[in-house]
Amino acid sequence: MSQPKEIFVKTDRCMGCRSCIIACAVAHSESKTLFGAVAQSPGPKNRVYVEWVAPDKKVPIVCRQCEDAPCMYACISGAISRNEKGIVVTDPDKCIGCWTCVMVCPYGVIGRNLETRKAYRCDRCPDRDIPACVSACPTGALVYDTVPAYSGAVRKQVSQALSKAEGE
Amino acid sequence: MAYNENILNKSIDPAVHQMLARAETLGLETVWDRYEKMLPECGFGELGVCCRNCNMGPCRISPFEDQGPQKGVCGATADIIVARNLIRMIAGGAAAHSDHGRDLAHTLLLTAQGKSGGYKIKDETKLMALAKEYGIDVNGRSKEDIALALAKNVYAEFGKQEGYVQFTRRAPDKRLAVWQKAGIDPRGIDREIVEIMHRTHIGVDNDPVNLILQGLKASIADGWGGSMIATEISDVLFGTPTPTRSTVNLGVIKADQVNIIVHGHEPVLSEMIMAASNDPDLVSRATAAGAAGINVTGMCCTGNELMMRHGIPIAGNFLQQELAVITGAVEAMIVDVQCIMPSLGDLCECFHTRFISTSPKAKFPGAVHMQFNEEKALEIAKSIVESAVDNFTNRNPAKVFIPDEKTDCMAGFSTEAILAALGGTLDPLLDAIKSGAVKGIAGVVGCNNPKIKHDHGHVALVRELVKNNVLVVTTGCNAIACAKAGLMVPEAANTAGDGLKGVCQSLGVPPVLHMGSCVDISRILTVCAAIANALDVDICDLPVAGAAPEWMSEKAVSIGAYVVSSGIFTVLGTVPPVLGSPLVTNILTHAANDVVGAAFAVETDPIKGAGLMIAHIEKKRQALGL
Amino acid sequence: MTADDSQYMIVGGCAAGMAAAHAIREHDRQGTVTVISEEPCAPYFRPLIPFVISGKNQWEQMALEGCGPYTGSNIFVRTHSRVASVNPAARSVFLQDGTCLGYQKILFATGSRPHMPPDIKGVDASGVFALRTLAHAKAMAQRVEQTRHAVMLGGGLLNLKTAFALLERHLKVTLVVYSPEVLSQLMAPEDALLIRKALENAGLTIKTGVSATGILSDSTGVTGVTLDDGSHLACQMVCIGKGVRPNVDYLENSGIALENGIVTDRYTACNLPDTFAAGDVAITHEPISGAPISTALWTNAVEMGRCAGQNMAGIKTAYTGTFGILNATQVADEPFVSMGVVHTENSDCQVFRQATKTTYRKMVFDADGTRLIGAVFVGDITNAGLYRYVIRERLPVSGFKQQIIDHTLNYGYFMR
Repeated sequence: MSQPKEIFVKTDRCMGCRSCIIACAVAHSESKTLFGAVAQSPGPKNRVYVEWVAPDKKVPIVCRQCEDAPCMYACISGAISRNEKGIVVTDPDKCIGCWTCVMVCPYGVIGRNLETRKAYRCDRCPDRDIPACVSACPTGALVYDTVPAYSGAVRKQVSQALSKAEGE
Repeated sequence: MAYNENILNKSIDPAVHQMLARAETLGLETVWDRYEKMLPECGFGELGVCCRNCNMGPCRISPFEDQGPQKGVCGATADIIVARNLIRMIAGGAAAHSDHGRDLAHTLLLTAQGKSGGYKIKDETKLMALAKEYGIDVNGRSKEDIALALAKNVYAEFGKQEGYVQFTRRAPDKRLAVWQKAGIDPRGIDREIVEIMHRTHIGVDNDPVNLILQGLKASIADGWGGSMIATEISDVLFGTPTPTRSTVNLGVIKADQVNIIVHGHEPVLSEMIMAASNDPDLVSRATAAGAAGINVTGMCCTGNELMMRHGIPIAGNFLQQELAVITGAVEAMIVDVQCIMPSLGDLCECFHTRFISTSPKAKFPGAVHMQFNEEKALEIAKSIVESAVDNFTNRNPAKVFIPDEKTDCMAGFSTEAILAALGGTLDPLLDAIKSGAVKGIAGVVGCNNPKIKHDHGHVALVRELVKNNVLVVTTGCNAIACAKAGLMVPEAANTAGDGLKGVCQSLGVPPVLHMGSCVDISRILTVCAAIANALDVDICDLPVAGAAPEWMSEKAVSIGAYVVSSGIFTVLGTVPPVLGSPLVTNILTHAANDVVGAAFAVETDPIKGAGLMIAHIEKKRQALGL
Repeated sequence: MTADDSQYMIVGGCAAGMAAAHAIREHDRQGTVTVISEEPCAPYFRPLIPFVISGKNQWEQMALEGCGPYTGSNIFVRTHSRVASVNPAARSVFLQDGTCLGYQKILFATGSRPHMPPDIKGVDASGVFALRTLAHAKAMAQRVEQTRHAVMLGGGLLNLKTAFALLERHLKVTLVVYSPEVLSQLMAPEDALLIRKALENAGLTIKTGVSATGILSDSTGVTGVTLDDGSHLACQMVCIGKGVRPNVDYLENSGIALENGIVTDRYTACNLPDTFAAGDVAITHEPISGAPISTALWTNAVEMGRCAGQNMAGIKTAYTGTFGILNATQVADEPFVSMGVVHTENSDCQVFRQATKTTYRKMVFDADGTRLIGAVFVGDITNAGLYRYVIRERLPVSGFKQQIIDHTLNYGYFMR
């Protein structure tokens, strides 16, 4: 079986441009186009967030699909489950908007749709090969890969940097 | 009362602390709240590497070589994009200052033609001096006639195609030679601004150095052109400032009077509002409404203009404009152009305050537009003041909260006033500089910016300079910050180093001299030119330095560019959007030295910024053998 | 091993019990798991029962099986069965119908029942409810047909949710609260101002500082409530929400240590071998003070039940304890979260409050201000889970205290 891919964040790469946020909202809009999404009312909701860490760090944050997903166990209406692809999903029909999931998610990535009173979150863009936020990131701060591949790439990068430093 | 850290960290000004707490209580949003909501700000914008100059883009260059585009669709590199964006900022700033100057030239023209509604030629001496500068024959001509000739000449500077801008000839010959060698002696004011727009169009100038040189050229057309025209013609029409006492900060708003705040930049409007507020009919109308009188105060540079010439108090600087409305005691916030926050409309709606826009160039959401025009100036000003007076009865006393904070200050140090204070000659100042009692002169100017603790950048830097015997000349929001901090009274000499203290005490002047509004940085240039000429050196040889500790506007970019182009080392307190290009960064901070004899430094810590300026001044003193 | 002799015996078919059953199944695919439930129906999401009253949901839509994480297979649920006693030495339980069942490991997850205050007279009348089970909810839904005015005794969350269900059925609803403000268990009176306003705007009548002395009835059932201020409210339905008590009667004389609940250690185990407890019935500890505590919350019950299930399956897992207060919900369009230490009157805690027209928050730090110990968010509950993490993990806050006070903390502060 192939390893599931995850979204990794390279915090030193984020420019805070919020391209990921826009791409996410567009990907979760009715038209899937920017101009359509802007005209949609109520507007589409983004599920990735760019936070600011004083004094100068910018950090994209998105649902981690936690192995031991606290939201799933905390849910009092059985609305949150893990699907066959390993993605933690909220069933809007079952969600009652009690926000218990918001209360237990340490990453703060569960959104509240105030119009529908339903919780929403990253669904890893089921219709796309690569999640919209990752495709949109202009600096590669978001990476979509399997754990072994990503950590391998990081290791390779570090060793290259080290050998380069030694060579100088 | 104790305020939370969050409020204390936003400003050093106790009036601001009080008003922010008040805003919090009332649930009102201010510039600081919006700034926090904006965080994180976009890194591409911060680095200056995004380009929207054509519709193949928008493009942005990744600052990481291994990831993302390194060139725009047209092929522009980060260096090209950053340079283009930077000089477009200069174009914006130079345009703003110069259009301000143009409005003054227009008013002078109408006044000379006898068509203006209430303006007079107030300073004939200056009129004659300027006429002489322009080579206008003054013999046997009426002052109106001379003024007409001057106005036409000055007006022509803007649309001039060839030759030079007259006031640039005030620069020392050595400076002119530098500009001519570099090809940055401006031919006209508008032309250089327009050329920036042309060169930065897709597919025109793609050499970062060539682009930046054009930026410097346009900035010189601002500092030694548009801005200088604004200053000089304002003096002709409204009088050249002389030292005057006044007060500053939100406490100048009076609970028992009709409060009118004039906010923006051009004295053309505010002078008339002030005149109208003294109209006996309007004063008695105010009294009849239950007010003790009409209290006109200034905000931002309009405040500086009025204070310099009439001692009118200033309610605050840029970041305080919203807070003035939140006092609930302002009947009218009357604005013209520049640095007026569009948020004022929403805020005024929470109170009885009338937000009145006057310029056809500047309309605002939530504002009542009462269009001003010079030909019916006083008439219109009266109707504006009347609407403020009539608004007094709508004031809700329960919503009034005026901080009890105001500080005395002395303003009005025009170049002429400084000379007068020195006894008619620069010699006492030159002697003090030669002796080392005064180490040098620093021009500290610029805006407020919520990225920097309000007024802290200004005041900490200026205090440090003064402590180290550097005489500070200031304009704009820095001047207001210094005034609020008590640095603009002669007694503030006590905070100076011993040398500067002695000089200030003997002359009876503060260690920080208020030279006016942001266009009045031209006055600083004039002083520097005079000193350089007296010493027979170039401006870049002088022990002088500049700083813009809390700058934010495009005007400030133009200012920085013409100050550096004039040969003055300048420290910026907020980071300009150029770091995406190592080349442009290097040009601005190093290579510019080889072309114009000065460069920029960026230092967000005001004490360290002052340190850089002092070190520069020491270096120049050494070079001069002082 | 016979059918009547289960490897894992779970007494109680609600949150803790079912969470434990599924946790066991995650680690032990073979072992027999038997859940004994008193209720006649299959396990369901108990917090949803107000929707049966409002008519928003049918009870079939509330079944636990197959929803969320409850997808484990081969879990035998014996409904309608009440355990009468337990003999831990013999590893056997006796059902009320006389059946004796054996086990190897047992979990007590019998939950709690509504507390009926002894000083209120007439609680036996028909139309008086203390909502706990689906059966209660169904009966209440029926009673709505003959009700114009319902009186809720108690201002806790359950009563508020029930009250809203009744409002949706277009009843007049009056909340009678003995405390000075609603939700007094979850927050201080000044914390609840926005919620109070929202409740009233939503049409709820609230009387604070009074309590019921008696319930009047005739042949039609409830006819009214008398209050201790001498007044009388005519009504056709009364709902009592005065807290809960643990269901431990069946453990009297069993040797299992009881102290207003079942005493457990850090690994959810009781005092005798192979006995465990979880959920409302268990006494666990509060992570900040370490003090013994029991709570009546679905989320806590699931968490402890899962932990107990892992321990029963041989994966030794410490339970991190729970806050006495840990609640999120939305009443009348006003979301709120309350967690940890929030009652700060007469304490030496550092408290930071921030109120706007639409939001309120209170951040409670310990006396020396180095750790966050409680938080209340009303209106804006953004990132509440992160604050829960900071409280629960007892993180030193020196690097981001101002961000906590300003409600600008985000997970970025914890990323390298």
